[in-house]
Amino acid sequence: MRRFLLRDRASGRAVWAVSLLAVAIAITIALPPITNLMLVSATVMAVSIAGLSVLTGWSGQISLGHGGFMAVGAFVAGIVSRDAPGAPVLVVLLLATVAGAVAGFIVGLPSTRLRGPYLAGMTLAFAFAVPPLIQAGGELTGGSGGLPLDRPTAPGWFMSLLGTNDPTSAGAHWLAVTSLVILALVLWLLSNLFASRFGRSMRLVRENDVAAELVGLSLPRIRVQAFVISSAIAGLAGGMFALTKGGISAQDFTPVLSFTLLALMVLGGIGTLLGAVIGGLLSAYSDDMIAWLTSHFGIDPGSNFSANLKTMLFAALLIVTMMVAPRGVAGQVSSLRTKLTRRR
Amino acid sequence: MIATVLSSRLVNDLVLGATSGIVISLLALSLVIIWQSTQLLNFAQGTMSMFATYIGLTTIDRGVNQWVAMLLAILAGVAVGAVTERVLARPLYGQPELNAIVVMIGFSILLTTVMASIWSPDPKYYTAPVSTVFFQSGGMPTGLSPYGLFQLLVGVGVMVIVALVFRFTKLGLQLRASALAPEVARLLGVRVNRMLTIGWAFSIAVGVVAGIVTSFGDFGLSPSVLDSLFVLGFIAAAIGGLSSPTGALVAGLLIGEVTQLVSDYFNSGYALFSSVVILIVVLMWRPQGLFSKNTDRRI
Repeated sequence: MRRFLLRDRASGRAVWAVSLLAVAIAITIALPPITNLMLVSATVMAVSIAGLSVLTGWSGQISLGHGGFMAVGAFVAGIVSRDAPGAPVLVVLLLATVAGAVAGFIVGLPSTRLRGPYLAGMTLAFAFAVPPLIQAGGELTGGSGGLPLDRPTAPGWFMSLLGTNDPTSAGAHWLAVTSLVILALVLWLLSNLFASRFGRSMRLVRENDVAAELVGLSLPRIRVQAFVISSAIAGLAGGMFALTKGGISAQDFTPVLSFTLLALMVLGGIGTLLGAVIGGLLSAYSDDMIAWLTSHFGIDPGSNFSANLKTMLFAALLIVTMMVAPRGVAGQVSSLRTKLTRRR
Repeated sequence: MIATVLSSRLVNDLVLGATSGIVISLLALSLVIIWQSTQLLNFAQGTMSMFATYIGLTTIDRGVNQWVAMLLAILAGVAVGAVTERVLARPLYGQPELNAIVVMIGFSILLTTVMASIWSPDPKYYTAPVSTVFFQSGGMPTGLSPYGLFQLLVGVGVMVIVALVFRFTKLGLQLRASALAPEVARLLGVRVNRMLTIGWAFSIAVGVVAGIVTSFGDFGLSPSVLDSLFVLGFIAAAIGGLSSPTGALVAGLLIGEVTQLVSDYFNSGYALFSSVVILIVVLMWRPQGLFSKNTDRRI
């Protein structure tokens, strides 16, 4: 009976995912190319935040270095598509995912024996160590100039389906659709993982590691596995980043990226997949919001203040959210929902 | 003969490594002070110290003497540390570790942007109070300048002062008591909350010393000049065991030497990564750090 229920829930999740995906894809048709490209960067960030959320929200470990894992995935994807120009996108993304997983395994190994601030500090050091390493990579990583990359173009059948001959608009549209599909796939896999035996084990390790050990779970193994899954997803996000940005360099993966991922995860809601989507959208549209703010309040756009306004607001929001509503936007939404249903 | 040795590449590197290592040791020590008193790893340590350094050193623009400006910076550090403890850190005690880490990271980013907004992100260069020209040995430059010597002396001096205060003064005893057994200390009449504030103020003041000596150096005064040094400071503190001042000193010097040698003989891009590798290896081998007496897993 229980097994049946679980399977039922799983198929319910799949139905939800597919229908939401269909709606999102339908929306992309109405969007101009530039907005579609913003949507692409929103999905990339959402995928990466979802990976971080698994680690922090589910297994209770914190990473301040997820930008570093994204960098590993991005550069593996970049180098492969430069050196093997005909490689299928799926293979490139798969390699980026594997590379992220390997990096996560190495950095996550000490998590078998460390927790909390030590682990956070170590991942922070990783985030700081990766960009100079890329810059020192010489021809392999393109040095400080980075790698120029071509965006994948829309296939012929897609263009004829849209009835367009404009490669720019179709290309942006194609990227938006494929990234949405990847995001939906990742979220669907993660929501299944959350409900699985492994997902429950991770949450038990977070809530009460002594109890977890008593029921026979291996703490080190689960901690490292969580790290590997999380950084594999970050690697995938990095691969998507590389393929959709038209070029990557060390500058794209400074510690600021890691901090931004953390901030967006907390704002959206730690450990929730909805939070990851909210975080991704926030990141893609924050530049527009800041531009609106500066023009609305008459702030000189060339000043140091307006150049730093976005990061400043993110940081302030991060502190306030953590102090006042640590469960983020998604947490507020779900507690509101419980309140409403209870009243009824 | 001696002249050739003194100006040789290896000796130069070792001396340069020690001068940067002492700054790393200072930052590690400042992290250790806060960790010992509140069991909180302050991720905003570097930026808080830089903020106070800015407040002090920019008074030079208004004609204040360099030495007075340094003193002002340290006083600003005391104020920044105390206010932050009261306003931001106090609500975090007893909360999940995650909250403290996230809030202090947020505070660090916030302070960086505030500094960049007020003073611009570009570095400001101030003439060092002591000459930065390297000593010569047999016509060849060595790795040591009067400023490097000053840096070493200041670093060692601060360490000695901190050790003396903690070991031989009543304040030091109260600080240690509040960290070790807050309840007992409170019963015996120690004002534990005040001790925590003093601990933070003290710690940031030590960080400011690191900020000052760095800002007079080649990179100048900039909001992010202490960022990678802070990371190295954390690595040193973690290798030393986060609760051992001696460990902070030794590990700081070690990291300084390693990063300098790697930068010179291989590539400066590998410097930080090599210390991360050292950190991973040490923590896998001895999770409690090299110098910590604790054998149980408190982390």
